[in-house]
Amino acid sequence: MGTAPAQLFPEFIAETLGISGVPGQVVGALIAAAVIGNIVLAFTGVAGPWAKRKITAAFTDRIAVDRIGPFGLLIIPAAAVQLLAKELIVPEGVDRPTWDIAPILLPASALLGFAVIPMGHLGPVNLQLADPEVGLALVFAFASIASVSLVMAGYASNNKYSMLGGLRAVAQNLAYEIPLIVTAMSVVIFAGTLQMSGIVEAQQDVLFTIAGFDIPTWYALVNPFAFVLFLTANMAEIGRNPFDIPEAPTEIVGGYQTEYSSAYFVLFYLGEFVHIFLGGAILAVTFLGGASGPGPESIGFLWFVVKIWGFFLFTQWARAAFPRVRIDQLIEIGWKGMLVLSFANLVLTAVIVGVIV
Amino acid sequence: MIGLMKSMATTMKHALDGKTFTVEYPEDAPDVSPRFRGVHKFSQERCIWCRQCENVCPNDTIQIVQDDKRNGEQYNLHIGQCIYCRLCEEVCPVDAILLTQNFEFTADTKDDFVYNKEQLKNVPWYKGIDPLESRNPDRGAWIGEGDGEIDYQ
Amino acid sequence: MSLEAPDTPETDAVTEHDPEELAALLGDLVVGRDDHLNAPGFVIRPDTVQETLSILKEQAGYDHLSVVSAQEYENRYESIYHLKKFDDPTQEVSVVVPADKDSPVSESAEPVFRTADWHEREAYDLIGIEYDDHPDLRRILLPETWQGHPLSMDYDKDQPQIASLPSHVNPIQEHHMDDESDTMFLNIGPHHPATHGVLHLKTVLDGEQVVDVESDIGYLHRCEEQMAQNGTYRHQIMPYPDRWDYISAGLLNEWAYARAAEDLADIEVPEYAQVIRTMGAEMCRIAAHMLALATFALDVNGDFTATFMYAINDRERVQNLLEDLTGQRLMFNYFRLGGVVWDLPEPREEFFSKTRDFLDQLPGSVEEYHNLITSNEIFQMRTIDTGILPPEVAKDYGATGPVARGSGVDYDLRRDDPYGYYDELDWDVITEDGCDNYSRLLVRMQEVEESAKIIGQCIDLLEDWPEEERNIQANVPRTLKPDDDTEIYRAVEAAKGELGIYMRADGTDKPARFKIRSPCFSNLQTLPEMANGEYIPDVIAALGSLDIVLGEVDR
Repeated sequence: MGTAPAQLFPEFIAETLGISGVPGQVVGALIAAAVIGNIVLAFTGVAGPWAKRKITAAFTDRIAVDRIGPFGLLIIPAAAVQLLAKELIVPEGVDRPTWDIAPILLPASALLGFAVIPMGHLGPVNLQLADPEVGLALVFAFASIASVSLVMAGYASNNKYSMLGGLRAVAQNLAYEIPLIVTAMSVVIFAGTLQMSGIVEAQQDVLFTIAGFDIPTWYALVNPFAFVLFLTANMAEIGRNPFDIPEAPTEIVGGYQTEYSSAYFVLFYLGEFVHIFLGGAILAVTFLGGASGPGPESIGFLWFVVKIWGFFLFTQWARAAFPRVRIDQLIEIGWKGMLVLSFANLVLTAVIVGVIV
Repeated sequence: MIGLMKSMATTMKHALDGKTFTVEYPEDAPDVSPRFRGVHKFSQERCIWCRQCENVCPNDTIQIVQDDKRNGEQYNLHIGQCIYCRLCEEVCPVDAILLTQNFEFTADTKDDFVYNKEQLKNVPWYKGIDPLESRNPDRGAWIGEGDGEIDYQ
Repeated sequence: MSLEAPDTPETDAVTEHDPEELAALLGDLVVGRDDHLNAPGFVIRPDTVQETLSILKEQAGYDHLSVVSAQEYENRYESIYHLKKFDDPTQEVSVVVPADKDSPVSESAEPVFRTADWHEREAYDLIGIEYDDHPDLRRILLPETWQGHPLSMDYDKDQPQIASLPSHVNPIQEHHMDDESDTMFLNIGPHHPATHGVLHLKTVLDGEQVVDVESDIGYLHRCEEQMAQNGTYRHQIMPYPDRWDYISAGLLNEWAYARAAEDLADIEVPEYAQVIRTMGAEMCRIAAHMLALATFALDVNGDFTATFMYAINDRERVQNLLEDLTGQRLMFNYFRLGGVVWDLPEPREEFFSKTRDFLDQLPGSVEEYHNLITSNEIFQMRTIDTGILPPEVAKDYGATGPVARGSGVDYDLRRDDPYGYYDELDWDVITEDGCDNYSRLLVRMQEVEESAKIIGQCIDLLEDWPEEERNIQANVPRTLKPDDDTEIYRAVEAAKGELGIYMRADGTDKPARFKIRSPCFSNLQTLPEMANGEYIPDVIAALGSLDIVLGEVDR
């Protein structure tokens, strides 16, 4: 399956620039990757210093940043300068190359995940860098590199809190990666393909029509149970409340990032936000019809943005409302609850698809 | 699950009602209660140098220096060390020392918080409220008192 | 006192013992009498402490060792064990243990009452009495390297105190680290987001599980007792209680001093002032419990939780009322011996309506907290059956307040040892039998509602109070000099539990010994019982549910 989709972003750039062959591929890929990377980083730039504060403030009846610029938006460059201008403190006894690589690895792995995400059309441009046959598997592979980074940071920091945080990160990721992927498999069974564009395409049919309004076959609507499972596992995967135990500031004072300051801290911070957006993107592609939405195809990217920001909003909402679970409870939920449920969901889906199709 | 939903509903309700509890501080100067105790104000014209405030002060914040004829020379008060218990105002027989509602004071060093009698005299009233009137209405206020009109000495 | 509960302790079958009976019970152990204003005092020999206390505990039912206060006289040292009954705290007895001036050694009470552990360490630290048979007699408030005992008479306060830890450690001390063990030592605090101040927990971990936790306190020790000893009864002591439990429980603390000093100097407080005191104190209790709830949510939910901010909002509302009443938001200094400093603020109607508005919106807020935390499944998962403190253990450690009531110990001085206007009002003592973090939280939330009930009744009373009878302060002389060698121990129900003051007068206008029985100090001592064997997050939650304020622990 997976009919050749619309022209991909790098090819579009190569064609626009009029370079063909291998140089065209290279130039196109580099420019396209830079554009996509910057879009994602711009999101995190807005989300970290500004949107997160504003959203939290709304939940807690406060005003939050409003001094610099309209709605306090200029806090973004101000915070960037402030964070980067700080001294980078290297504690004694850190495991040097590992300690330096970890903060680079986290945002890098999350950004890499965006390579295969179909972010929809913006005008004539299809914002997708690559569309391999195994897209979904690839994106999970990229996303889970993040936990390696957390372990590296935790282990190399020469700090007991960091180590606890790093170990918690491994335990958590092992417990949640499997239900996450198994639940995603049920989508693959529906769509019949691992290719990201194919999964999106399979969600474009009309499920039913209410009052002249077409409800599409988004898998969140077709199989809400799997959607909730996936959402929960995704929250754990990206380490947000109620599953923010690798950080757990009130218990292990920030876990793996305890010892990081200045630019390294920014990288971690950035990486976490990119990771949230990647989580949102995976969710959007697999369950929320990717970039589809009312209106012409050419504004699809806007719908996509709305969806991933919606997921971001949800993580902040959960953070305001939910307590943090304990590490042993999380493992229990993961292995005893989610894993069983996700397999049940997979088998059920397979049977249903087998009967219907 | 129902409990989780309730939690989410409660927080969302707060997010959507648009009410905020915090204020934009320097722009919105807060109303303090009439009884609020802030930085002291001292009136040399009223003071009879009886040193009761110095005696009652629990942590030696007030320092009075007199000459050999027991005339007052200095009246120093460390507003950074003060615990704002208002006992000095309470024991003063002539209301020569008052705690205004003014709570906004800054200094570069700790020593700058040692106010002498001139500095204490120049402490502004907060929003023009005379604290004595609100705390003890039966005792005369001295907010509009001119310089040197009353001299108990 | 609750009108619904007719089986009040007075009618309950708690046997009263008159001093002669007790003397007969103790027989030869008693070598003299040294009665205090609040209780009969039996002087015993320093090597019969355990025997005496176990007789009193087991045969006479004195199961609550409130406090151990120690002091040095010209010719002797003295430790006083203030005993009470959990069932009826008005039945008190003091056990006075003199110790030799040259080598002050006294038997430890720790085997009889676990709570004596920390209290005796404090006495050793500050006064210098050594306790035989004590399991772990080390300094508790001051650093281990400290030279001398600051509250003893020959203490040289000018002597230099520079002794580094390495020069102080015992070179032949056993080394605990070995290659075999699988545990990890972790310092939680003194600067940790969840220790609620400068508390240092020395934890030994086995993976994520806590094998042992030991609290290291004293980082906020400000010599409050000595400061009070240097202040005059009439004026100078009153501002300081605000600074013990400084999270807006000030009026409750002031009441502890006021009650003890008023009984010591025999001052009668006008009824009108008692009603105002009761109202103000309960407002403080609401403010304190709101902060306890807020920080507990912070500990369990993680930072950025909305619950914290909502509870702080409610606390601000009650603080606005307190500011109108007392003139300050935290450090009130509102009580005076013999009454309060001001009548209600004018216009009175406005104050009443503001207070009523607050009371009206309070049930809605409490409902919201129930929605946010107590009914939340994850929250229940985290708090139910964690941090277990069985009632027997709680009593043994002298735990009081919401911590004891969360373990089902029905002990509230407002009802059991009435003061103020409480026994005229209609309210209930809240207890929960869960013994876990969750019950302690529930107790606090319900106590907020009970406090609101009390405030409502006080407001009604004050509104109808005839204008000519509004006497806010008794006539108290400007200088108070209680008789020489009178001693008293009096306690009130503060936000965290039994806050007691022991005072000894020496005929001057300043107390000769001023000892604070801090509820947090005793409550914190129970932490290892709750935490050992649990996970790190549960230790944090248990600590949060104890609701300690380091200003009161360390004084």
